[in-house]
Amino acid sequence: MAETEKIEVRDITRIERIGAHSHIRGLGLDDVLEARAVSQGMVGQKDARRAAGVVVQMVREGKIAGRCILLAGEPSTGKTAIAVGMAQALGTETPFTSMSGSEIYSLEMSKTEALSQALRKSIGVRIKEETEIIEGEVVEIQIERPATGTGQKVGKVTLKTTEMETNYDLGNKIIECFMKEKIQAGDVITIDKASGKVNKLGRSFTRARDYDATGAQTRFVQCPEGELQKRKEVVHTVTLHEIDVINSRTHGFLALFSGDTGEIKQEVRDQINNKVLEWREEGKAEINPGVLFIDEVHMLDIECFSYLNRALESDMAPVVVMATNRGITRIRGTNYRSPHGIPIDLLDRMIIIRTVPYSEKEVKEILKIRCEEEDCIMHPDALTILTRIATDTSLRYAIQLITTANLVCRRRKATEVNTEDVKKVYSLFLDENRSSKILKEYQDDYMFSEITEKEEEFASVGGGSKRRSEAGGGGGDAQAMEH
Amino acid sequence: MSYENWLNYLTSAEKNSMISGRLRKVLYKFPDGQQMAEDYSLDTGIVLRRAWRKCKQLMGQPEWEVELGEEPRQLNWSGNKANGAGGDVDNTHDDDFMLRESNSAPLLTKRVTKKNVEWRIRNMPYPLEVYNVSASPEQRSIVVRTTNKKYYKVIPVPELDRCGTPPTQANISVHHQFNTLIITYLKPAILCEMEAQVLLLLKDVETETDMDDLLKGLMAK
Repeated sequence: MAETEKIEVRDITRIERIGAHSHIRGLGLDDVLEARAVSQGMVGQKDARRAAGVVVQMVREGKIAGRCILLAGEPSTGKTAIAVGMAQALGTETPFTSMSGSEIYSLEMSKTEALSQALRKSIGVRIKEETEIIEGEVVEIQIERPATGTGQKVGKVTLKTTEMETNYDLGNKIIECFMKEKIQAGDVITIDKASGKVNKLGRSFTRARDYDATGAQTRFVQCPEGELQKRKEVVHTVTLHEIDVINSRTHGFLALFSGDTGEIKQEVRDQINNKVLEWREEGKAEINPGVLFIDEVHMLDIECFSYLNRALESDMAPVVVMATNRGITRIRGTNYRSPHGIPIDLLDRMIIIRTVPYSEKEVKEILKIRCEEEDCIMHPDALTILTRIATDTSLRYAIQLITTANLVCRRRKATEVNTEDVKKVYSLFLDENRSSKILKEYQDDYMFSEITEKEEEFASVGGGSKRRSEAGGGGGDAQAMEH
Repeated sequence: MSYENWLNYLTSAEKNSMISGRLRKVLYKFPDGQQMAEDYSLDTGIVLRRAWRKCKQLMGQPEWEVELGEEPRQLNWSGNKANGAGGDVDNTHDDDFMLRESNSAPLLTKRVTKKNVEWRIRNMPYPLEVYNVSASPEQRSIVVRTTNKKYYKVIPVPELDRCGTPPTQANISVHHQFNTLIITYLKPAILCEMEAQVLLLLKDVETETDMDDLLKGLMAK
């Protein structure tokens, strides 16, 4: 099997990219929803995590629709981390949609359309459907790839049951599936004819003596009986949004792949709601409400809030989790000020979870986890310094320094990051405080410094001043850009 | 042992009929959402094709399932059937299929004659002794087995279901020539009677104008 060997080498070299929250694997709670100090990538924030655990339980039970939870807290206190943890704790079966408040502003779609799409993406429907599957033992598999490495692959597979045998030609997409599952002769597989999903059931008993040693997890199964093609009832989860897209006539299901869905008519949605309810009554479908997470929720404006007010009351609404780092601020689109930039009437429908700043010990723990995640070995002294930096400046800045310090350390061909490396990157890269300090000091040397604050206010009547007042709450870096 | 149910089911449907060439095409729309299309030969009054369109749960456009007659299929069938009919021009690349039986795989077709129901399984190179065709009344179908374990098929016989008779071994005869296995099932009397009744039923259905003639007339202008 020369071909499969070649393919395997390719797969190994794939690199997993590390994101800001990729170290989080759950909420880190025990069975009675008590928060463990350090678990599953989560540190501290015990009360907030316990509260999130209760919310997760609520979603799992799936009885209550349209609840709203607000995660409020200062910047970098782990609001997004808790949301990611919730998503992980809920598992892949429950839909979890994550969006940022600013995502709804698009020229192609109205704000409320974007919101309702997001809401419907967060409701799963488990549907029992009869599909045609092919179930058999692989007798022979041939995959030919051209010598150049790219281009058309040609595949053939022979499948058999106890009664019959058939040759199949494989399309390009399904060849990929075969390679991913590492299917060889002797495996018993099922292929979903409609979706092209390949599933390995195990190895055939007749091939049990092919190798002297088998892995512990190798399962042996009987060769299937009867016909190769069977009709079977399968259960799959789709979101309401996917059903919408399939049924919005103008696009057809191809829109699912291209991502260009445009606006979906309300009539279509109503029809689908009715249909789904009908299915539920007949026992064909089950509704599986999930979670919609809106980060930076203060970026929504008053129309969106009023839309959400109404949307949350529908019995098909998911649990909505929002996060904001604003205090009392202006509601976007109005001149009124309100806590978290959210109108009081919506706030009234929410339960609010507060995140508190991390203690120095917790910061150290987080930095340690991040070091592990980024495969960076750090000397304890260096970690102490980094913790000090994190408490003085910000946690995000300190996390940035891990990667950079690691690179500097590798430059001098060492494996462990020491204090010198951290000091070096600390001098190389400015944090937000130092940067704005420098800006203030040398402001006169920068371009356009001759325009004073007052003149600027005269020049730009509405837009400029509005922008500044909003950025004022955000953080020093935004302020620095303005000057 | 009666075809009452089937006749009632057909009567309940909304029927449309038109004549094209030497064919009379009838479309049934049943109250439960299913659709059936039939082609009758005007010369013999025998059904040449019958296809069903069943409701899919996930909605979308359901496809036609051919119960009887040849499936429209090109010689160099590259894409899958859905693509060929869909008219998505830029999608008809050669590689745009998931999985298909190879060209040499056995292919089952069914047709109805005046006296018999016939199945032809093409691409079957093995000699006649290999096949074992038996009626299976409990599965209400005919089962084709091969002693060399190369082919196995449970063939349902919906016609017999509709008049409530199980298939019997005595009515089956098997034939093999030109790489093709031909299974012939002699229609029982009750089935012939049912078909006659259905034809009577269709007599009352109004037939639209011949589309071909209409088109020809338009072209002439």
